[in-house]
Amino acid sequence: MQGCNRSQKIAICTVGLPARGKTYISRKLNRYFNWLGYKSRVFINGNYRREICGTECNSLFFDPHNEEAQKARSDCAKMALQDLIQFLKNGGDVGILDGTNITKERRHQIENELKSSFNGIQTLWIESICNDSKVIQNNIRLTKINNPDYCNMNSEQATIDFLNRIKMYEQIYETITDDENLSYIKTMNVGADIIVHQVFGFLLSKIVSFIMNLHTYPRPIYLSRHGESQYNVDDRVGGDSDLSQLGEMYADKLADFFYQEFPTKEIKNDIIFLTSTMRRAVHTSDVVAQKLEIQPLQLKTLDEINVGICDGMTYTEIAQKFPNDFQERKINKLGYRYPRGESYLDLISRIEPVIFEIERSRQPVMIIAHQAILRCLYAYFHQNEIPEVPTLDIPLHCVIKLTPAAYFCDEKRVLINPQTGEISIKEEYVQEFVRSKSKQKSFIDL
Amino acid sequence: MQQYKKSQYKLILVLVGLPARGKTHISYKLNRYLNWIGYKSEIFSIKGAQQNNTQLDQNIDYELEIDPTNQQFAEVRQQLSFTAAQELVSFLQSDGDIALYNGLTSTKLDRQKLKSLFKEKLKLEYQVFWIESICDDPQVILNNINESKLSRFKDQTIEQFMNYINVLAQNYESLENIENLSYIKLINIGKLVKVHMLEGYLCSKIVSFLLNLHANNRQIYLVRSCQTEYHQLDKIGGDPELSITGKQNSQQLGDYFIEELKGNKNITFFTSQMKRGIQTAEIVGDKLGIKALKTKNLDEIDYGICDGLTVKEIAAKYPKQIKERKANPLEFKYPRGESFLDVIHRVEPIIYEIERSREPVLIIAHVAVLKCLYAYYHCNQINEIPNIDIPINCVIKLVPIPYHCLESRVIIK
Repeated sequence: MQGCNRSQKIAICTVGLPARGKTYISRKLNRYFNWLGYKSRVFINGNYRREICGTECNSLFFDPHNEEAQKARSDCAKMALQDLIQFLKNGGDVGILDGTNITKERRHQIENELKSSFNGIQTLWIESICNDSKVIQNNIRLTKINNPDYCNMNSEQATIDFLNRIKMYEQIYETITDDENLSYIKTMNVGADIIVHQVFGFLLSKIVSFIMNLHTYPRPIYLSRHGESQYNVDDRVGGDSDLSQLGEMYADKLADFFYQEFPTKEIKNDIIFLTSTMRRAVHTSDVVAQKLEIQPLQLKTLDEINVGICDGMTYTEIAQKFPNDFQERKINKLGYRYPRGESYLDLISRIEPVIFEIERSRQPVMIIAHQAILRCLYAYFHQNEIPEVPTLDIPLHCVIKLTPAAYFCDEKRVLINPQTGEISIKEEYVQEFVRSKSKQKSFIDL
Repeated sequence: MQQYKKSQYKLILVLVGLPARGKTHISYKLNRYLNWIGYKSEIFSIKGAQQNNTQLDQNIDYELEIDPTNQQFAEVRQQLSFTAAQELVSFLQSDGDIALYNGLTSTKLDRQKLKSLFKEKLKLEYQVFWIESICDDPQVILNNINESKLSRFKDQTIEQFMNYINVLAQNYESLENIENLSYIKLINIGKLVKVHMLEGYLCSKIVSFLLNLHANNRQIYLVRSCQTEYHQLDKIGGDPELSITGKQNSQQLGDYFIEELKGNKNITFFTSQMKRGIQTAEIVGDKLGIKALKTKNLDEIDYGICDGLTVKEIAAKYPKQIKERKANPLEFKYPRGESFLDVIHRVEPIIYEIERSREPVLIIAHVAVLKCLYAYYHCNQINEIPNIDIPINCVIKLVPIPYHCLESRVIIK
């Protein structure tokens, strides 16, 4: 629920050997908090180290007996923590410290520093433990080989060096114990075992649920609007109109598309198929459901944004009848709430349980819903900034396939011509590291 | 009610733990929650089996009867535990969705036998999730005994009871990973929680729910927003402001809470985003020196096309809908609006908030929404919801205690 007790600051610190998914967890949590409307940021120890010590660090740099390197690394970690504290002091709500933090001493220092900097700050420690060598190898392959540290090595050399680096850390690794008196969550082997110690509070409880359900299965999420509706044709908002003739044709072609996409019975039975309770979505879904022989779940949570007193009007009529509202909406499409209706911010809050469910699922997800709703869902997985949400392009007669991976989200748009069934595909691979909006000044800004 | 997939499989929740660890309390709360969100859920326990068996002496507590050397009692206990398991199986084989089992589960062998019984007798897909409550804090155990056990014990003293538990503890085997069970261990009422092999939507929800439980008996106040002009005109829905009388009543409400809360500013204070809710909460909040959190989750039920009409107008314009609503008031959905089931779903996050709060909770909202919240604490079946009485200018004070919920109502005039 948005807005619960903003006055309390939260600091989250990760603990764990390299390649245990700490950065993955940090980024996911960061995304989740920003999505819920909190000001959240991740401070990555590794990035500070790269910025200050350079990227030419092989595993010997991480030898705990290498005093000079130890001092350098310790200084970098202190900087990251200071930046986090500054961030929280300057209006930030949640600061996430992404680092190994594997000794009791280090954790003790950080906890003290945080507690003495703020009155009533809530700290949460998240330790990721993994003994499964396959998972670790996979993590290394997916995330480390392309790491700036290894730009001068080939992947085999990089892997060997990285495994050596892990061995360095293992020498001094101390898992969190209860006598450290910290609020912590330990997740072992990607959620097979979870331990929660002294975690209380609204947001912290939410974090526990979120982490319990995290996984790294690359499952696809299909988003499509209902076929063209009568109101679409008349250019009216709201209402509960049915499909137009073109819309019905789209439903057929959509069913064909999904039929090709999910060839076997096992795959079909495993799909999570969601739609809204509005006629246009239900009818579109029913056509697909029949062809695939699966049942959609109709959720009111996925109903289109409630346009209140403007229900059934065209934009021209709204401009004439409610000129002030029309103007207001133009200026602030995100926060503007239709009288007796909803705003985009309300929508974002409303669909949170659905997002949670999708995060949790390890099976393909198929959602047939509405423009505003899909804008919100799309933005969450694609990591768009919230102010962008109301203007995202989610056209009719188009299936958007998202495949979220560790640090980026694959996207494929399939535009289906409702009359001819002709398909045109647009693929886009957006790597988080190279998002064009942030001109990368240094590693620390990542 | 289909909020999410009515699971393709049935769910069995098995409770494990020594006496006075809160198993009954946990099963009671879980059962209430699951029924409220729409599942058909029931508890099967030794106590329950005993109550159903008229041949047994109902004055003896077979679940807890203290003499460990009494072979006959041990046999009866075994039998009752077995009966409860069989009744559980029948329940799930017919139309039950979720069954909670509170029987003999303290040793690995007991649990093995239970697993085998389910495997043998259940002819459909099912999942078992084990919930263990562990406690080594003597104060907590003492509290548990005081609150719940002593009423069941006429002759025994607390000391005798503690001794009994210590005897049982010698043979008690906590859940271990090697048993290959999916479980959650709650230690010292959630101070430490361990989860192993968590799987599935429902189990995930149950874990989230359990993480928020605690043993503080704090008050929950449910109040309607005060009078508006819509009340005077007999109109439903809308977003009207408070009338002059409404504002006066809000002042009186504020005065009442000044007395009641005795200066406690740490309360959990929620209201809706409707004008009447916000205004009432502002006046009350000003008196108490606190601000309410406004959430759309507490907005009144959406009356759809009937919004803003008087009761007579609706009867005239939409007789078919009136008939439908009379036939099935719980599931009836106002066209382009909501049903009570939709409201329950909408209000669920608030229940989590209330459960989590260890301080008093004050909620200023509206009739239909409050009916749903009230039902969570008081009703055994959600089809009672439409008939619940939530009068205006009345503070409903609920204090949930183990197995129960105390209620008192105060009319503010």
